[in-house]
Formats: sequence, structure tokens, C-alpha cells
Amino acid sequence: MRLIWDEIQKAVPMILHGNPTLFSVIWFTLQVAVVATAAATVIGLPIGLAIGLGRFRGRQVLRVLANVSLAIPPVLVGTFLFVLFSPQALLGSLHLIYTRRVVFVAQTILALPFVVALTAAAVQGLPPGLLAQARLLGARRRQLWTLALREARVGVMAAVIAALGTTLSEVAAVVILGGNIYGYNQTLASATLYEINGAYYADAVAIAIVLIAMILILMCGLALLQHQGNGIRLRFRSAP
Amino acid sequence: MGYVWDQLRGAIPLIVHGDPYIMGLLWVTLKVAVVSTAAALVVGLPIGLALGLGRFRGRRTLQLLANASLALPSVVVGIAVLLLLLPQGAFGSLRIEFTLQAVYIAQAVLALPFVVALTPAAIQGLPPGLLDQARALGAGRVQLGVFALHEAKIGVMAAVIAALGATVAEVGAVIIVGGNFQGHDETLASALLEQFNYTAHDPYATAIALVLLAVILVLIATLTLIQQRTGAVQFRFRTA
Repeated sequence: MRLIWDEIQKAVPMILHGNPTLFSVIWFTLQVAVVATAAATVIGLPIGLAIGLGRFRGRQVLRVLANVSLAIPPVLVGTFLFVLFSPQALLGSLHLIYTRRVVFVAQTILALPFVVALTAAAVQGLPPGLLAQARLLGARRRQLWTLALREARVGVMAAVIAALGTTLSEVAAVVILGGNIYGYNQTLASATLYEINGAYYADAVAIAIVLIAMILILMCGLALLQHQGNGIRLRFRSAP
Repeated sequence: MGYVWDQLRGAIPLIVHGDPYIMGLLWVTLKVAVVSTAAALVVGLPIGLALGLGRFRGRRTLQLLANASLALPSVVVGIAVLLLLLPQGAFGSLRIEFTLQAVYIAQAVLALPFVVALTPAAIQGLPPGLLDQARALGAGRVQLGVFALHEAKIGVMAAVIAALGATVAEVGAVIIVGGNFQGHDETLASALLEQFNYTAHDPYATAIALVLLAVILVLIATLTLIQQRTGAVQFRFRTA
């Protein structure tokens, strides 16, 4: 334990005294996490609701696909996007490779399956009579979606937190597409690879501590939500 | 699409003719997945059983911790394991830093939360009277454990597949503790990440990606088959 203890003793002052490099990485990571999750929520929520609530043909297939997409390794997603964004390829004209923007794009795409699959699951988990009743009482599609979102809000929030969690701890796609460039587009997780590679163990430990703190805050948020969720009883409100 | 097509045309012969580098990566990946998941099972199953069956104080808190450990970023686990294994670290005398053994250890630590968190979930999903009845009929602790495992075997198998999937997809910890030495302790996923350090137009990158995709699809198909026998057990591979 000696080594870990020594490195922690070097790492803690870095965090407390606001090491500028560390804090610029923290700031970039938070930006990426929030923007990517927000974008994934905006794109994924309607898809998740449609898959979860829709009664069209092929929705079963879409549900299976949404669940499968959760299992695709980020390193594969990164490779696929790299091929897609390569200068000679379809989206090469966007000039995204090795930029800061591509980190946002990659994390949005990686967060999307969480929002889509878990929103669909949350909506499907609602008591079966609820939405049928709303339909029977003449709710339009938008009213139905609002009702479903409101009733399944705990599940949806859990989906958003899961998405935030991946964007914080993901490395592979960020490294492949962004190039993990020091002082430019490193996230906390990808920066650890760089620090370990250079044997800057104290820096790596400082980053690990910050990362754990962020994940802990998220997990506490999730635990609180679920705790509240258990107490939430179903209320039939008139749709707005 | 011509570009993607060219990549595929270069990659497929490599796979079909059993290129030794790629077959070596596949072999290492399978070894790592099986060994580390087996180690996680040996360590995690008793803990999972205790959490699922036990009626001691603090059980809920421990279970919350087990669930939270699913969200532990893999790079953090990698750093902790590496610092323990470095020559100055607590287990430095083993001299296994940057070797395949180190990768086994880190991956086993990463697979553990799946077993520890998902086994109690599977046991708690059993019909409520079942275990009480076994207790009432005088089952000892070992008998009860064996019985619970037998009844919850599908959930436990799903946990095992989730752990296998996570170890196959993992990149960060493998690179940190293994150092990603070519032909030695690279897995498919970590080798794929390394490909982008040199050149993007290597048919090897595409070939590795295809093999990795095949491995993941086999795992997903197995999981789907298991789920279809039982109904809805939902799982994801990604750690986050």
C-alpha cells in the first residue's frame, strides 16, 4: 500500500491547490458530459418513447436492437466513426477527426443507447392499464407521451444518469477519434492513459480521485431517485 | 462507400486465412475473458449468495455498494491494480506488472461487480415463498445456497455473460496494467485502440474490429437465447 499512499499524498495537493492542467481537463470533461448527455436526451427521448409506446410493426425488432446497441463495445463504435469521418469517407468533409468537437459527437453517440433503451424499458414498465385508459379517454399522441414521461420519470432520470456515467468513464472512442491530445481534448478518463504511459503516477491518481468523486455524486443521485421512486404511488392526473 | 468497401476488402482475407497476429489476439482475448470471469465467479458467487440470502445487518448497504461498484470507471481500477503491482507497491515482489497475469487480475476485479451485484438480484427475483419453504424444511446454509443458485441459474448465467462481455470490450484497464505489448498481453479491444496510434489505413484495424464484433454478437445471441427461455432479464455489458 506504500506506493498508493505516497501517490495519494502527492495527488491531494494537486486537487486542493487547483492544478491548472487538471482543472482544465475537469472542465472539459464536465462540458462533454453535460452537452453529450443533453444532446443524447434530446435525440433519444422521442425514439425511446416511440419504441416503448408505439404500436407499429417491427417495434419488437427495434426494442431488441436498442438493447443490443447497449452491448456494442465503445472501441468498435469509435472505429466505425473513425472510418466514417476519415477524409476519404462519407463524412470526411466535416473535418472532425482529432478535434474537440469529435469528442462531443462520439460521447453523444455512445450515450444514445442508454437513453433510448432505458427510456423504452421505463415506459414499458408502467402499469398496463394506465396508458390504455388515457388512450380510451381520448388522449392525443403528444398528451400520451407527456403522461408516459411524467409517470416514468424515475426510470428516465436513471437513464440520463447512466448516460452521464458512461460519458465520464469512457476512454476508447475518445482516444481513437480525438487522439487524446494533451492540453487539448483529453477527458479525465482518457488523460489517465496518457499519465500512466508517461509514468506520472501522482497525476493519474489525482485524476482517479476526481473521477471517483464525480461517479459517487452520480450514484448518490441515482440512489436518492430510486429511494423516492419506491415511495411514488401512481396518480392519475388529467392530461394537460 | 467506396472507402469502407476498400477497408473491408483488405480485412476479410486476413480473417479468412487466419492471420497469426489476429488469431493470437483472439486467443488472448478469450483466455482473458474466461480466466478473469472464472476468478470473479469463484470470489463473487459466495459474496453474491451472502448478499442475496443473508439476513444480517447492513445487508442493504452492502448491496447498494455492490450496485455502485458496477459504475466504477475501469481506468480507476486499472490505476489501483497497477500501483499495487509496481515494484514499489504492496505486491511488487510478484513482478507481474505489465504482463498477462496483471491483465487477468484487473479484468477479474472489473468482472467481480457483475457477479456480486447481479447474483443477489437474481436470487431476490425468485418467488418469495420458495426459499422460506426450504428454510422451514430444515435446509442448512450450504443446501440453501445450492438450491438458490439452482433456481436462479438463468439470472446467474446472464450475469456471467455480462461479465464476459465487459472483459471482452474493456480497453482502459488492459492498457494501463498490461502496457499493451504486441503479441503478449494485447486483447482484441486494446489492440484495436493501438492501431490508431500509427496509421488509419491499416487493414488490420478493420479485421480486428470485425473479429471483435463477431465475439460480441455471439455473446449477445447466447444472452438472447437464455432470456427467451425466461422472459425479461435485462442486461448491459458496458461498465458505467
